Amino acid sequence: MSQLEIRSVSHWFGGLQALRDVTFSTSDEILGLIGPNGAGKTTLFNVISGFIVPTRGEVLLNGKAIHRLRADQTIRLGLARTFQIVKPFATLTVEENVLAGLGTPYYPKAEALYKIYRTRENLEKIEQMLEKVHLSEYRFSPAAKLPIGLQRRLEIARALATHPKVLLLDEPAAGLVAQEAEELADLIRDLHSQGIHIILIEHNMRFAMNLCQRIVVLAQGEIIAEGVPAEIQNNEKVINAYLGQE
Amino acid sequence: MLLLQNLSNALILACTYILMAAGLTMVYGVLKVLHIAHASVYTVGAFVGVLVFSWLGNFWLALAIAMLVSGIFGVLIYRSTYFYLLNAPRTVPLIASVGMFVMFTDLLQKPFLMGAYQRAFPAGGAGLSAIKTALFSFTAKQVLILLVTLILLVLVYIILTRTKLGLSWQAASMDREMASAVGINLNRSIAANFFLGSALAGAAGVLVGVYNNSVFATMGDLPSYKAFIIIVLGGMGSLPGAILASLILAIVENFLVASVGYVLPRDSIAFLVLILMLMFRPNGLLGRE
Amino acid sequence: MSSGYLLTILIFTAMYISLALSLNILTGFAGQVSLGHAAFLGIGAYTSAILTARYEYPFWLAFLAAIIITGIIGTFLGLPSLRVRHDFLVLATMGINFVVVSIFKYVDFFGGAMGLVNIPAPTLFGITFRGGVPYLLLTAGYAAFTLLICWYLSKTWSGLAFQTIRNDEDAAASLGVNPARYKIYAFGISAALAGGVGSLYAHFLGSVFPDNFVFVESIGIMSMVIFGGIGTLRGPIIGAILLRLIPEWLRFIQDYRFTFYGALLVLMMLFQPMGLLGNESWLWRQLTRLFRATSKVKEEVQG
Repeated sequence: MSQLEIRSVSHWFGGLQALRDVTFSTSDEILGLIGPNGAGKTTLFNVISGFIVPTRGEVLLNGKAIHRLRADQTIRLGLARTFQIVKPFATLTVEENVLAGLGTPYYPKAEALYKIYRTRENLEKIEQMLEKVHLSEYRFSPAAKLPIGLQRRLEIARALATHPKVLLLDEPAAGLVAQEAEELADLIRDLHSQGIHIILIEHNMRFAMNLCQRIVVLAQGEIIAEGVPAEIQNNEKVINAYLGQE
Repeated sequence: MLLLQNLSNALILACTYILMAAGLTMVYGVLKVLHIAHASVYTVGAFVGVLVFSWLGNFWLALAIAMLVSGIFGVLIYRSTYFYLLNAPRTVPLIASVGMFVMFTDLLQKPFLMGAYQRAFPAGGAGLSAIKTALFSFTAKQVLILLVTLILLVLVYIILTRTKLGLSWQAASMDREMASAVGINLNRSIAANFFLGSALAGAAGVLVGVYNNSVFATMGDLPSYKAFIIIVLGGMGSLPGAILASLILAIVENFLVASVGYVLPRDSIAFLVLILMLMFRPNGLLGRE
Repeated sequence: MSSGYLLTILIFTAMYISLALSLNILTGFAGQVSLGHAAFLGIGAYTSAILTARYEYPFWLAFLAAIIITGIIGTFLGLPSLRVRHDFLVLATMGINFVVVSIFKYVDFFGGAMGLVNIPAPTLFGITFRGGVPYLLLTAGYAAFTLLICWYLSKTWSGLAFQTIRNDEDAAASLGVNPARYKIYAFGISAALAGGVGSLYAHFLGSVFPDNFVFVESIGIMSMVIFGGIGTLRGPIIGAILLRLIPEWLRFIQDYRFTFYGALLVLMMLFQPMGLLGNESWLWRQLTRLFRATSKVKEEVQG
């Protein structure tokens, strides 16, 4: 059970306002965050996950304010994320990448200095994790050698290894072919059915409309619409925002 | 009186910093490489200057040839190393640069080049005369430094703002790929950048050699480290910033030494400034976020 | 070559193996390029020298103090790494090296340019290690200790955390690694191990001077790490051995040691940036291929 509340969040980069008074809340669903380029979606993700402290406003996870926490602190509250531009640990193998996610509880403690990470127990967990995202056959390849689609899945696996309650996916379907995107959608539904609260940024409209239960639309840093996919599809403001961009 | 005299001494010191830092900041602007081997170019400039001067006895000819040779030396450094490392991770060209610096410094100290001893560079004021006013005075040597620095800076300013070459550097410093996409011959542009930057360093070497009447193999070490401090202070890649930072550093050094005395030598003051700057204003005094 | 000379070479080689391994924790594991490692060697050497020669503490205490004090100072000197990355960090570490050397040189407490002399030979358990074989055992023992620490560290969660921040700090943070904390760990551990070498160094030479710890020394240590293969355990060891021994075998290089180091750095960057025995290097690929081929043959023969 998890509830995330965004309360009047505004953020400026120098003189440029990236987010304007964004307010919404979400709990235990698959929420889509869409909007034209430069709408502030990734900035919002960075605020939620602790990479940016918002200029104004607050973010609450299950009632606890988290907007002043750093990224390495929010993850310990169960808030995992992936990146729009994939950031695999290039020199590590697929297995080691996912193992790194298993370490989340250890890193802030002194026991990280003497506890061995490659235990049989952890390796078994990794095996299951990799099966879930269909990466088992790449287990020992360096992450840098994977094609982009698999790197995206690796990032999801790495985030899952942290046992998140909320998973933020930044354009997970970008660069995937239709069939891969379909598999990804199945995976995300599967994760949601296991009780993970999912928020995703998506550019691929069809993908978002099919997958998400609810959608929040951002344009120029503001929320312009919010609702179930069917409502959003027919919302005039949304259509204008997208047309305006084209 | 003393204040003004101190200021004018600081101005002379700043001139030598500016010439050194200008080349470095130009190179950083275009290549995004911390060109540590710039120190060797400076020393080579001074060395060539002193050799030509002792053969021909003409300072201006010595300066011109020294700048030419340093410029070519710089282009050779670029073509033999950085050229192949443009797309490598940033530490790769940096370590190559450190390697070149160590190699050249060691080679320059060998007897067949400069040897371990100092050479005199008795060019004096190169025929210029001293300036004396009631408030401040410049010796002939100081006038020489001021004059040469001003001429070179005007030249650089014209090249940067009025020529295609200067525009191509600006384009390349913003985005190398875009620059070559719009038809800039990147290779030639960067080579020219190295030539000019290295020639300036060579000129700085000659001027400092004349000013101190001494040229030696490791003379480039300190000025080049200071040049790094200056380009950090001035905001990496910014020429006006580098000029301002040169002035500030020279003034601070002069006054700290003149008034407070010092526990540490003034050179380590510069390094402390560097470390603090890097920690608290990594974008430089004029830099933006 | 007299056996005394050979021993001296071997003792230095052992010390440089420890130094290269300790720098590798910082630069190879955690990805923080530092060109100021000689400063840590110097801090350890001066700590041990002052404690024994001036205050007459026993060697073992001075040795431990050198490790601990250098570790603590290293932790503080690592602070710039929290603010600056990449080439700016390199500048900061160069600056640190200069400041540390000028403190040695200009502060009377550290003996100034005349350095510190009459540093006694170390005594442990009633045995005095005066040059020769015993000292080689001491330094080799310390190199083995350093290797053990590095090996164990690479197996721990913090070893994995180092690897993640070297690859991508944001991704590391998204998994709960606080990059600042781990950079400081890396600086502290790396400095502490180098401080131990400093102590051995001071007691072997019997005197220390500021010029022993200047910037080019840092370059020498970095060359070893890079030449051998950064980020691996074998690399810095092989690098330290080869770069200490090659100039001894090829005498003409002796006078051109730094030309040789410098040229080597440039050539490695141009042709093998991963080093001689780094994971993606040509030589290492050939070796692993050869190893696989022979083990296959063995299997076939046995099968």
